[in-house]
This record gives sequence, structure tokens and C-alpha cells, in this order.
Amino acid sequence: MKRHLRLFVLYFAQYAKVRLAYKADFIIAFFSSMAATVLGFGFVLVLFTKIPKLQDWSFYEILFLYGFSLIPLGFFNVVSWNLYEFGDLYIIEGRFDRILLRPVDTLFQVLFEKFRLESLQEVATGIAVVTISARKLNISWHAADYLWFVVMVASGALIYLAVFLILTAVSFWFEDRVGIVPPVFNMLTFGRYPLTIYNVFIQFMLSWIIPFGFASFYPTTHFLGRENFTIYFHLVPVVAATFAMLAVVVWNRGVANYSSTGS
Amino acid sequence: MGASELALPARPRGGASLANQARVYAEFIRVGFVNTLAYRLRYYTGIVTYFIYVSIYYFIWKAIYEHSAKIEGFDFKQLLTYVAVGWIIRSFYYNNIDQQIAIQVMEGKLAMDLIKPVNTQFMYVAQALGESVFRLALLTLPTAVILALVFPLRLPAGALNFAGFMLSVFMSFFIVAGINFCVGTFAIRLKSILGLLRAKYFLLELFSGLLIPISFFPEVFQKALAFMPFQYISYVPVLIYLGKLQGLGIVKALGIQLFWVFAMLALGDALWRWSSRRITIQGG
Repeated sequence: MKRHLRLFVLYFAQYAKVRLAYKADFIIAFFSSMAATVLGFGFVLVLFTKIPKLQDWSFYEILFLYGFSLIPLGFFNVVSWNLYEFGDLYIIEGRFDRILLRPVDTLFQVLFEKFRLESLQEVATGIAVVTISARKLNISWHAADYLWFVVMVASGALIYLAVFLILTAVSFWFEDRVGIVPPVFNMLTFGRYPLTIYNVFIQFMLSWIIPFGFASFYPTTHFLGRENFTIYFHLVPVVAATFAMLAVVVWNRGVANYSSTGS
Repeated sequence: MGASELALPARPRGGASLANQARVYAEFIRVGFVNTLAYRLRYYTGIVTYFIYVSIYYFIWKAIYEHSAKIEGFDFKQLLTYVAVGWIIRSFYYNNIDQQIAIQVMEGKLAMDLIKPVNTQFMYVAQALGESVFRLALLTLPTAVILALVFPLRLPAGALNFAGFMLSVFMSFFIVAGINFCVGTFAIRLKSILGLLRAKYFLLELFSGLLIPISFFPEVFQKALAFMPFQYISYVPVLIYLGKLQGLGIVKALGIQLFWVFAMLALGDALWRWSSRRITIQGG
């Protein structure tokens, strides 16, 4: 554990140096990340110029929800870079051989070889948006709430990571991706709305199949004072832990199944 | 080696004739079509994906219309048709030329594009067109049929509107292709393109009118967007479909759209000429 922690710091420092060596490049990446964050919320911003409420959810409640969802998503985005290219870079090009040769956990290496530094912007933006909307909504924070908040952010990030790890691990069996990762990624957006607006099927899908609801909507219900979701709120860490364990099992199975391309 | 040492791509010898050129690009269209065949499976998941998207937006809009019967001249049924038709045509005009260029750059294969004696942009656009024709049959049509069966969608406002709509969607393809080629070309010199592509993705979704009609935007935005090509990708074709544009309005809209097709392709060409002079190919 201690060794892994030290390695993480070294990996991170090394990669940060690499990225910051190309300053203009990093600045463009940073601003496009910022633009994506704002544009991603454009739909709701435009919408609320026309309507006062979405069902019984006010603008600042939706804003709180969006702001919160950015925080775990930002952390996830920082480490998920390699997952997108995993099939191509590691399996088809055989780079995974190198990973297996090192005496460090495979998952650790794949996740922490590259960092999308600019996504830390999302974490900062998320915290700012949550703070502003919490103030507008007059939410009073107790000491325990801060702790809950941290637990919820960690759980959310873990859920995103677990879902995409499972999808990525599929490349161990099928070299040709079915192209399922991009649509699932785009579905992230739908967890940013109160799940109450959907019908039972979609609520079920966003809760138990692709549990994005547990990474964004349910965690906020407690802070927004929606008592009828208390059970779901408390289930968030449980769902996160379950999906994370599932992801690790699938990943390890995949690694065991891996046979090099032999190049 | 620096690309400045590379001769600019020459025109096909002895055959600058139009027929010859057309044959070359027709071949690229065919290649794009055939290449896509290899990824058939993606289109089955594609149909499901588009169905889920439209279903989710159905519920979002239903919640939005809970408090009002009409917003900016759209009732719920019209808006549902707006959203569904928007996604249906997206399954046709969509392409990822920008991503393809990025992959060529990463794999160091861009030199192969440079030595081909054809217009690079037309080559990418022709291949993407082949792909789009493929998707029209395997993704767009099945998706349209399923959505029309499940949701109470409206038919096109008239035969003339439908014809104008089809022509408009065809031009949408070229506008998107032009934009993507520009973004891809711009990204040649970046080390990481993913962030830029994601920003472009959200930009097109929002400003093309795919997510929300342009008339819902604050006035300042509407005025600014009128001078940009984005709303001609989705908003304008669907307005023609719904009959919110009629007669001379359709002709005018198609005219402006045609202007944007040429403008974006010209911009892509200029950007390519400018940046291909600065490309450094590693090793090789």
C-alpha cells in the first residue's frame, strides 16, 4: 500500500511534467475542458429561461445536482484516459505485455499511466457551483454533512470508474469493440436530472443497470432535503462498493484470459 | 523530415477531367461504405442507443411541458417530433472525420494522406459520405421506423416540405463534415485532442439545435447564432420538416445552407494547406 502510494506520487509527478512541457497544448486542453463543462449544461441553462420549474425541482436544485455530479466525474476523468484507448493501445498493439512484466498491479498501472490534468477543472467548477446553489437554497450544513459529502463524491467516482472498467475489460475477450463505451458515456448526462421525471424502466436502468443515478442524483437528495430518497442515499456507498468489486473481478478474469498478440 | 520538402500533392496526371476526378472520389465513397460493413455490429447497438436517447428526452420534455401547453410556438407533440427527427437525421449526417485525422496523426500515418494525389479534404468527406449512406440504410431508417411506431410523431408538413427537408439534411452532412475536417486539421499540432473533440461535441449538440430549438435561446444568442453555420445542421432541416418554414422561407434557408457548405469546405481546404506545410512526420 505504501509502495503503491509512493508510486502514485511518482507517476503523477512524472506525467505532470510531460504535460506541462507543452504549455500551449495544455492551455488549449484546459479551455476546451472548461467549454465542454459549460456547454454540457447549456441545455438546462437555456431551458430555465423559459420555464420556472422542472416538475417540482427549482433551477438552483438542478444546478446543485449538476454541480455535484461534476465533482466525482472530474476525479474519474483524471484517471480514465487510458480506458478509452485500452482496446487499441494495450490489447491490439500488445502494450499490455509490458504491464504484465512489472511487479505492480495491472489495474494500478493502466489507470495511473496517464492523467487528464485539465479535468481537475471540473472538480473546482463543481465545488463552486455547489457552494453557490447551496447558498441560494439556504441549505444549512451540519458537520456530518461535510463527511457525507466526501463519502458521496468518493462513491460517485468509484461508480463511474467501475462501470467503465467493466466495459473496458470487455476488450480482453472481444478485440473489436462493439462501440458501447461512447453511448454509455453520453448517458452520464441523464443521471444529472432528478430521476423522478423518468418512468419506471428508465429509473430502473439508471439505478441498477448503469447506476449513474447513484453517482449523481441520489447523493444530492439528502442535501436537497428530499426525505423520500433516504434509503437510496444510504445505499450509495453500498452500490459503489458492490460495482467496484464486480469491476475488479471482471478485470482480473480478463487479465487471466489475456493472450498476447505476439508482436 | 520536414513536410516543406514534400512536394504539394499533384493533380492526377492527364486526367484533371471532371469525370476522372469524380471516379476517384466515387471510389472513396465506396471504400467508406465497405469499411463500415466490417463494423455492422455497431449499428445494431446504435439503433438501441438512439432509441434510449429519444426515450429519455421524451421524459425530460414531458416534465418540461407539465406547467405549460406551449413554449415558443411548440406544443409537446411538435417538440417530441422535433427531438425525434433531430436524432434520426443525426444518425445520418454524423461523422468522425476529426477523430480519424487524430488517429492518423497518433499512428504517424498522416504522411500517407499527404502523398495521395487527391484533395485530402474531399477524400475524407467522400469516405464519410460512403459511411453515411451505409448508416442511412442500417441505422437511420430502422431507427425512424421504431421511433414512429413507439412515439406519436407527426408526419412531414407536406410533400414540398419533405423534399426540402431531405435536401437540407443532405447539406447538413457536408456542413458537419467541413466542421469536423477543420477541427481535425487544427488538432494535428496538438498532443491531446480528446478535450477539444469533446468540447466540439457539446458545442454542436447545443448550437445545432439538436437538444433544444434555437428559438428557446435568449435573443442575444439567437442573433449571434444566425451568423454561424451550426443551426443549419439540425434546427433548420427540422423546421422545414415541421412546416415552420414554408415556401420562400425554405428556399432562402436552403440557399444560406448551401453558402455554409461551401464556406466550411473552403475553410477546411485553407486550414489544411496552411497546416500541412508545418507537419513534421516522425521517423518513417
